[in-house]
Parts: sequence; C-alpha cells; structure tokens
Amino acid sequence: MNTRADSVIGLAKVLFPFLMGVAGVLLLALPVRLFGGAMPMPIIPLAVIFFWSLYDPLKLPASSVFVIGLFQDALTGGPFGLWSCVYLMVQYVVLSQRSYFLGREPQVVWLGFILVAVGAAISVWLVMSLLAGYLLPLWGLSYQIIATICFYPVMGQGFRKIRRRVMQEM
Amino acid sequence: MEILGEDRREGISRRIVPRVNLFLLFLVSLILLLSSLYSAEASVFKKARESILDVASPLLSVLSVPVEVVNNLFGRAGDYLHVMDENKALRQENAELRQWMEEALALRQLLSSYEQLQSYQPSPDVIPIDAYVIGDSNDVFARSMVLNAGRNENVRTGYAVVNEAGLVGRIIEAGKNASRVLLLTDIQSRIPVYVEGEGIDGILVGQTRTRPLIRFTNKVTTRPVRSGARVLTSGAGGIIPRGLPVGVVFGMKEDEIEITLNADYSQTRLVRVLEYTFPKDTQSDANDLGETDVNTIGLNENDRGTL
Repeated sequence: MNTRADSVIGLAKVLFPFLMGVAGVLLLALPVRLFGGAMPMPIIPLAVIFFWSLYDPLKLPASSVFVIGLFQDALTGGPFGLWSCVYLMVQYVVLSQRSYFLGREPQVVWLGFILVAVGAAISVWLVMSLLAGYLLPLWGLSYQIIATICFYPVMGQGFRKIRRRVMQEM
Repeated sequence: MEILGEDRREGISRRIVPRVNLFLLFLVSLILLLSSLYSAEASVFKKARESILDVASPLLSVLSVPVEVVNNLFGRAGDYLHVMDENKALRQENAELRQWMEEALALRQLLSSYEQLQSYQPSPDVIPIDAYVIGDSNDVFARSMVLNAGRNENVRTGYAVVNEAGLVGRIIEAGKNASRVLLLTDIQSRIPVYVEGEGIDGILVGQTRTRPLIRFTNKVTTRPVRSGARVLTSGAGGIIPRGLPVGVVFGMKEDEIEITLNADYSQTRLVRVLEYTFPKDTQSDANDLGETDVNTIGLNENDRGTL
C-alpha cells in the first residue's frame, strides 16, 4: 500500500512540472491579449524548462520536454519539431552548466536565462527564416523574448515557492 | 527552509542526470523539423495537427471564455480614458457615413433598375458559417487563429474567413470541431488581390509585420499608387471569392505596395467562414486549367512545406 502511494507521489512529482509546461503552451494558444495586444505573451514553457532542468532535472525528463515542445508546435501551427528541438537544446545547455549555476544568486541565474532565451530566439528565427526563404524581421520575436526575460524573476519566484511546497508535502 | 540547489551548492553539482533520452529525442525532433522544412506538408503531419486541434478545442473553448472576460475588463479600463476623444471621432465618422449611406441608397436603386434591364448573372452563392475565435497563436512567426467550427459545420481547407471589416485569412487545417485560419500576416500566406481603380494585380504576401506587401503580377500603370486605395481579393486561382475587402494602400516600398489590413486581429472574436464553390467552366478541360492556375499563384495546400 505504501509503495503504491509512493509511486503515485513520484508520478505526481514528475507530472507537476510537465503540466505547468502544458499550461504555458495553452496560454500561448489562447486569445490572450495582454494590455489590448500591446504586450506579447511570455513564452512560459521556456521558463518552466529552464527552471526545472536547473533545479530538479529528474522531475522534468527529456520526454516531458519533448512532448511540451510538440504540443506547442501543434497548437501554435508552426512546423513540427521546431519548439521540441529548441526546448531540448535549452535543457542540454542548462544541464551542462548546472554545476556553475546551482546555489548562485537569483541575478546570476537570471543572466543565465537571458543568454538561454536569446539563444533560443535566434535558433527559432534562423529556422523560420530558412522556411520563409529570406531573413524575417526580428522585432516581433525580440518583444516576446524581452517580455519573457522581464517576466522570469516573477515566474522563478513562483516556481521556487511551488517547488518548496511540493517537496515539503510529498 | 534551505533547498538544495537554490540556496546552497554543496554535494549537489556532481549528480549525474541521464542524457541518452535527451539526445535521442533531440534527434527525433530534428528529423521531424527537417521533414517539415524540406518536404511538402505530409498528410501524416496534417492529420496529427487536426487531431491535436480536435482534442484541444474543447479545452480552448472553455478557457477562452474567462480570457475574453479578462480581455474585456482591461479593454474597458482603457476605453474610459479615451471616451471623450472617441465620442468626437465617432460623431464625425457618423456624419461621413450618413453621406455615404445616401449615396449607397441611390446607387442601389440605380443598380436594381440596371439588373431588371439586363439579364443579370448573380455571383455564385456564398454560404456563411459563423464561428468564434477560441485560439490565437501567440507565436511570432506562426500567425494563426483557431475557430470553433470544423468539418462537422462544413468548414473545409481553403475557405476564406472574414470579419465585419474584411478578410481575416483562409482555412489551412480543418478538424472535426475546430479549424485553423492562416492570418494574412503569416509568412506562408499568399492571397491574390487587386488595387481598386489602379490597374494593379498582385499577390498579398505576409511577412509577420502588421502591414503585408503586395507583389505585382500585373501592373498596367506607371504612376504611383494612391495611398488609401482599396485592396480587394481578385479571386485568381479560384479559391477565394472575388471582391472581399482586404485593406487599404499604405504606401510604396521599392517595387511592392505596403497595405494596412482592415481586419484588426487583436479585436477579432467572431468570424465568418465563407463556403464558396468557384464557378466552373462546363467544358471538360476546365478542371485542368483551374489546377494550373492554383499552382501558378502558389495557393495549393502544399504551400506550407514548399515555401
């Protein structure tokens, strides 16, 4: 009985970050118009994947990242594989730099997120430019990335609180 | 409470995380991406997209209701600040519109008398299908909306979508209960249009900017294009009906015309999908001709992959 409860809790722990990523994708696909459409929707799954890959990679395995990316591709109508590629790349970069970022001040981690987000944006821009056959304008994506970067400290705080609670209770 | 990794670093940094799966899944994603880039939109991808759309559409439908309420709330707060200015502008616009109405009524009368005089061939029937926008991709390079009407409501790939102001886009995926509209600003959007009274035919090409460009296919005049001239669908290629308002000319840009779209995407909530069968020549070779036209202007379904 106990082992069964343990496995349910284990599953819930893995499902939790995954569901947050999925919720982030849904927010990207919903007709949310922040400030009357003046502010682009932050790419929340990027922050989810960055945070959990850094602090708790076992709770957000590559398969979760892959599914979140594919779901985003399907719901936003982009080419299949684009966001899953980008997110898995992000996870790889974060995992390889973990030993540096763990335990550092939030500002340092934020700087890391900025680098990762800019890298992700450039990859998306390059792939979509390849698809279009010419270099696409960058400003739209820049706004969205800036919104995501500005929003990260708030999201990071939220994720920290959620993680503490989950770790305490489970 | 101190949490390992967030507040302290000891003994955590060397923990090994398995990466085999990561590489494997990255490879799968890369193959998927390359096949999306270099092959035409394969039917298996299309099927997958439509099924995911069908699965997600009830969720999007439910979630878009509170989203709409919140959007309205913020929209209204802004409206209160501009209410006086808006009132003034509306009064002025109303006066102008009344003049137009008079003129339109006179023209309608004239037209009906002409119709009686001539054997008039009415334009083929367009059946409107009303739908709500339940999804709006917040992706910069993939500009599309999800509607709550699909094959069950007779929505098919290729149909034009309009709102009260003009053309919104065309259907690119039709699931059972939901469909996806490719907006005119998407990089894959190609719509045949003409500029009223200027002798210009062209293809409206989306570029992710708010103002798409017209590339000329036929230009009979050399004088500069009047800004403010109306841009309408030309119906070339036989997919979208002729004469749907698209926007107005904003200005010239090298050898292209920049246009301001009529449809305001940030306000689009209710749309109409136009079920429309293009008039066909009764002769047998008409079909072949139609297909050639479609391929020439690049409006076929394979567009997504080949661009």
